[in-house]
Amino acid sequence: MSAHVKNTHARLFFVSFVSFVSLVAAAQPGLRPRQIFIESAAATGLTFTHMNGATGKFYMPEIMGAGVALFDYDNDGDLDVFIIQGGPLEPAGARDSSAAPTSRLFRNDLTIDANGRRTMHFTDVTDRAHAGVRGYGMGVAVGDYDNDGYLDLFVTAFGSTTLLHNNRDGTFSDVTKEAGVGDTAWSTSAAFFDYDRDGYLDLFVAHYIDFTLAGNKQCADSAGSRDYCTPRAFRPVPDRLFHNDGRGHFVDVTEAAGILTAYGNGLGVAVGDYDGDGWLDVYVANDATPNQLWINQKNGTFADEGLLSGSAVSAAGNPEGSMGIASGDFDLDGDEDLFVTNIVGETSVLYVNDGHGAFEDARARVGLAAATAAFTGFGTDWIDYDNDGWPDLFVANGAVNIVETQRGQPRPYRMHDQLFRNLEGRRFEETSASAGPFFALREIGRGAAFGDIDNDGDVDIVVTNNGGPVRLLLNQGTAGNHWIGVRLEQEPANRFAIGARIGIERAGRPTLWRRVRTDGSYLSASDVRAHFGLGPSPSIDAIVVQWPDGRTERWTGVSADRFVTLRRGTGKP
Amino acid sequence: MFVSGCASVLFLALAQPAPSALPKLQLDSFPPPTRAAIARPYALATAHPDDVNAVGALARALHAWEQWNAAHDTYVRAHALAPRSFEWVYLDGVVLQRLARQREAAASFEQAGRLRPDYLPARLKLADALLESGDLDASARLFEALAGEASATPAAEFGLGRIDAARGRHETAIDHFERAIALFPEFAAAHYAVAQSYRAVGRRADAQAAIARHQQYGARWPGVDDPVLTAVTALRDDGQARLQEGVRLAERGDTAGAIAAHEAALTIDPSIAQAHANLISLYAKQQNWDKAEEHYRAVVALGVNLADAHYDHGVMLGMQDKWPEAAEAYRQAIAVNPRHARAYNNLGQALERVQDVAGAADAYRHAVDNQPSFRVARFNLGRMLIARGNYAEAVRELETLTQPRDAETPRYLFALGTAYVHAGRREEGIKWATDAGALAREFGQYELAAAIDREIARLK
Repeated sequence: MSAHVKNTHARLFFVSFVSFVSLVAAAQPGLRPRQIFIESAAATGLTFTHMNGATGKFYMPEIMGAGVALFDYDNDGDLDVFIIQGGPLEPAGARDSSAAPTSRLFRNDLTIDANGRRTMHFTDVTDRAHAGVRGYGMGVAVGDYDNDGYLDLFVTAFGSTTLLHNNRDGTFSDVTKEAGVGDTAWSTSAAFFDYDRDGYLDLFVAHYIDFTLAGNKQCADSAGSRDYCTPRAFRPVPDRLFHNDGRGHFVDVTEAAGILTAYGNGLGVAVGDYDGDGWLDVYVANDATPNQLWINQKNGTFADEGLLSGSAVSAAGNPEGSMGIASGDFDLDGDEDLFVTNIVGETSVLYVNDGHGAFEDARARVGLAAATAAFTGFGTDWIDYDNDGWPDLFVANGAVNIVETQRGQPRPYRMHDQLFRNLEGRRFEETSASAGPFFALREIGRGAAFGDIDNDGDVDIVVTNNGGPVRLLLNQGTAGNHWIGVRLEQEPANRFAIGARIGIERAGRPTLWRRVRTDGSYLSASDVRAHFGLGPSPSIDAIVVQWPDGRTERWTGVSADRFVTLRRGTGKP
Repeated sequence: MFVSGCASVLFLALAQPAPSALPKLQLDSFPPPTRAAIARPYALATAHPDDVNAVGALARALHAWEQWNAAHDTYVRAHALAPRSFEWVYLDGVVLQRLARQREAAASFEQAGRLRPDYLPARLKLADALLESGDLDASARLFEALAGEASATPAAEFGLGRIDAARGRHETAIDHFERAIALFPEFAAAHYAVAQSYRAVGRRADAQAAIARHQQYGARWPGVDDPVLTAVTALRDDGQARLQEGVRLAERGDTAGAIAAHEAALTIDPSIAQAHANLISLYAKQQNWDKAEEHYRAVVALGVNLADAHYDHGVMLGMQDKWPEAAEAYRQAIAVNPRHARAYNNLGQALERVQDVAGAADAYRHAVDNQPSFRVARFNLGRMLIARGNYAEAVRELETLTQPRDAETPRYLFALGTAYVHAGRREEGIKWATDAGALAREFGQYELAAAIDREIARLK
């Protein structure tokens, strides 16, 4: 046999061998590509099932689901979980009875051994913490309203709201009445933010519709089957703005602040500086009515620029479902853009900010329109799940009307959640199929909160399901990219610096900006720490902080791949 | 040759996709009227899956009943069975557009356009689908051609405007939008779009005015006749379809037609509470009190849609000058929905009729508290405050009504002027009254303007 023939045979044998090995590898579970997210709720003790109180009468609250908060209630450095519970809607009084289920607080008992191995376990501490809120809960906002260094909770409801003061000893107290934030209109999302820069967190509360059980209406889906009504069958209720007087009490300034001049069926709330003037504005996603963009007039009042800004309705001028909000700088041009989830057949929308509060409906251009057409989206946020430096998107999906292909099945509102990878700010690519088996699961997704729950440098997610179990998605997939987590501290007021902006400066690359926030998504509250993916290079030239009062500070010599706490006054102006 | 023949057959088989399977329908999951409408064409199509007429009939039924995914699958099969038929591929495009699958819709409309190049709705829908899927160049070419066809011009100009706006060419976008609006003044989407372009070029006041017109016109769109699609929607003849038809007729002011449609809905399905509820006010318009009362009792018996039923009952009683009974009906509406602003406002009006000014003021206050944008309720509150001598508070309430300037505003301004005068601020009162008179004349309200002039003369 000639050398050429021998070599050819050898090459053929090698190719065949490699092909054989690949085939075997594909068949072996241990050799499959790693999942990006692993669903770990039950495995970590985070066991909770939402009760929507479905009666067969299609009461509107039954379809709305509830939210979840990720926050460190005991200041031990890891994120705990507070999950909102619904309850029975009938008979009258049932949801307030002692037998009714309550919201639950789960303490994160994360341990990290010397080798960096993490063991996570959640313990239900609701009763000892007095954190069990009764009633038909909807959403939650997180903020340190009294500046004692501990995060408090505001719970919205189909019914009365509740303000839980964190007592700093592992317990909470209901201070709703004393604080003056009791509210019986149907409240949904809420946000703590300091709109007047006085150092105290004020409170914006979105309201939905004037639905009552006695006033329920009979509605049908397109095939004539009894189904949940569209919110258009009812009338919107105005939102509310409460000003924190600094003495543990809030004053209702809704009318004085101009918030009564426009309102819709409020579901989502996000705070940001949308016109780039350094003052915090408020974006409200309204269900089937135009959204509001409340621009801070810097004098205690707001003006609604929603319709004029291009962020209130679709490009064709039609109001859309508008449930959840992701507010952030997805294209790294320094301003805050808005991704808003809509209902099936509408497609979710990406409003791209021009830096001055004018928005372009870019959903088709970036590839999000087609990918979201078959889904009704709720909880969402910008998260850099792979730490490549570009904020990606997660969307919790679940229908509000019968899904055609599930007709006749129990709970015919199920959809799978979605993950989108940001392709350098130009387009989005759906990566759900390769993100883990969870993304093939069809449930009725609603709230979603985001944060690094196991403190391993990547963003994890907690998802609530309407009438179903909570899900914990632990991120496994950052592919060796670098990261940094930043927590801010200032005294004496707004101790967590909610509303501040943090910028990571890197030579030759765009600055990464994040706002310190807990609001956004749907009915939920996320980690107050800001997470940044840095990509393959760990170098950080400087971290810039724009504090809520407008002053700026800068730190250099900060290294990556850890959490840092930046205390006001320790940087350079 | 045998091999060549086999190869040819194989090639053809590979080139022609096999017709997609018929969808499997859970007929038992549909309510009886829907089941009845779909079962027969489904049985026929299942029995004759290669018969394009049977398959097409099923597709149209599914389409009419808004089973979009099943309709799409069935249209695809029908088109595969009869690829030279315009109807199936066109209607599939319509369904795909409804599912927001714009690229696929565009592909369907393109095929449809090759089969019937003259079908205007297909050309318009193709241009829209290309625009929505981001293919601006192709969309622009189509809209340019359509701009020359009279019935399509408004939509075409709107499309061209959107394309120019997307490219940042706002001045030319404005030209297109303004042409669309000139041809169809109620074109709500065009008003919204031109507002965005006005804003982009710094014409903020024009933008705000355009936004106001957008809000005024709701969702009005310049329609183009589409007999192929109309034939599908006409297939639907259930109670809900008749109810929707009745609502449309009522909105157009055709009370008799609306009543007939609502009654037809109830003949098909007596449990449609909304039909009963709507008939209360429709019969009241005809002063057929007995029929109105009959439908009110039917809604109450069903136990749903109660707030609006009690409210409409109150309106009916008020039309008969039965004010105490009307007030009680409004209170029942409020008991069901404590935030029912219209019920509070109307309760106020009923209480005024029985001389309960304090009660009326309280009711109007509740109306405004629950719906701060309810201008007429705030005007009524202002009147009651004047009647009770609370002039300063009346001024505060009525001052919020000076904008926007619509046909209701003249009387609001006049009331504000009156409040100022009573509060001792005569010059300001005359100023607002003068403003009111001028605005009344602008809106052709000459009697009001004359009354205002007389009042001003008296004050002077």
